[in-house]
Amino acid sequence: MQSKLSDIELIEQTLAGNQSAYADLVKRHQRFVFTLAMRFSKSREDAEEIAQDCFIKAYRALAAYNAQAKFSTWLYTIVYNTAMTFLRKKRIATDSVDDENIYIQVENHESAYDGDNVENKSRSFYLNKAIDQLLPDDAIIITLFYKSEQSLEEIAQTLGIEANTVKVKLFRARQRLKEKLERNLKHEVKELI
Amino acid sequence: MNTIEEKLWNYIDGTCTPVEQEAIARLIEQDEVYRKKYDELLALNLEFAMMDLDEPSMAFTYNVMETIRTENAMQPLKAAVDKRIIKGIAVFFVCTILALLVITFANVHFTGTDNVTLHLPVNIKVPNLSGFFNGPFMKWFLVFDVVLALFITDSWIRRKKTAKEV
Repeated sequence: MQSKLSDIELIEQTLAGNQSAYADLVKRHQRFVFTLAMRFSKSREDAEEIAQDCFIKAYRALAAYNAQAKFSTWLYTIVYNTAMTFLRKKRIATDSVDDENIYIQVENHESAYDGDNVENKSRSFYLNKAIDQLLPDDAIIITLFYKSEQSLEEIAQTLGIEANTVKVKLFRARQRLKEKLERNLKHEVKELI
Repeated sequence: MNTIEEKLWNYIDGTCTPVEQEAIARLIEQDEVYRKKYDELLALNLEFAMMDLDEPSMAFTYNVMETIRTENAMQPLKAAVDKRIIKGIAVFFVCTILALLVITFANVHFTGTDNVTLHLPVNIKVPNLSGFFNGPFMKWFLVFDVVLALFITDSWIRRKKTAKEV
């Protein structure tokens, strides 16, 4: 059963030597951390590796965490930095994700596989597919804004940029997501006809 | 200058000033283009907010905690032992050495220019070790030391070589 204690209380218990308190903290944040990692790596195996690495790094640095910022903001900063390092190491060119050829390949693969069941596909399927086609930076900003319950200032702190820059980036990311979503849906409609 | 979309997103997010908020609300009410765009963006906003979070594997938490437990178990003794214990031992030895020095200097008597006599408070007899450092005992001791030094040097060089190869 998941603990009802606050993040700060769980951190205090962890620092006092109670490791199961940290397990509760991991359970509480693992879905979001994993999702953020997925936005960068686009592969479940790599995302698990990144997410695990983040929680281990956070555990090691837990004594240095000061409760001035939310634990989640602090943790997401670790996720962002770890994922960036991971990308650099793997030498994945971030713009390759937006490559038109890859887009067509992914699209054709999905269309061929699910061509007959288009009606059964939910809007969330298309949304997740469109998010997957975004650049990691756009996908991260959209995810942080809609799912992390963080203000623009907190997102700015996580990404190490100005709040106004976050606002501009969020606007552009939403536009790109809207375009991808429309393009995917249009393609599916064509398939149906 | 802000586009209609940018203004409307700011309005939806609540990131514009109260004056701007009021002006945009009025535009949505009066202007057909604004109203249509607003409805469209509002629907998109709701859709974006419904995105699913990905789920890691069932063993995720276990794997994280297991790595942490293994790391803790592999911690060097220096890091595992409470620093206060190490400091306590250090303080004990420093105090003992200082006490011995104080006792020794307090009991040293300078009787002449060359003669120094030490009168200890208790009657301690220092054993005569001169016999140990003569003859076969000393020779065997030195041979053993040389063999031991060669053995340690050999194993150190081997370790270094293996590390280089890896």
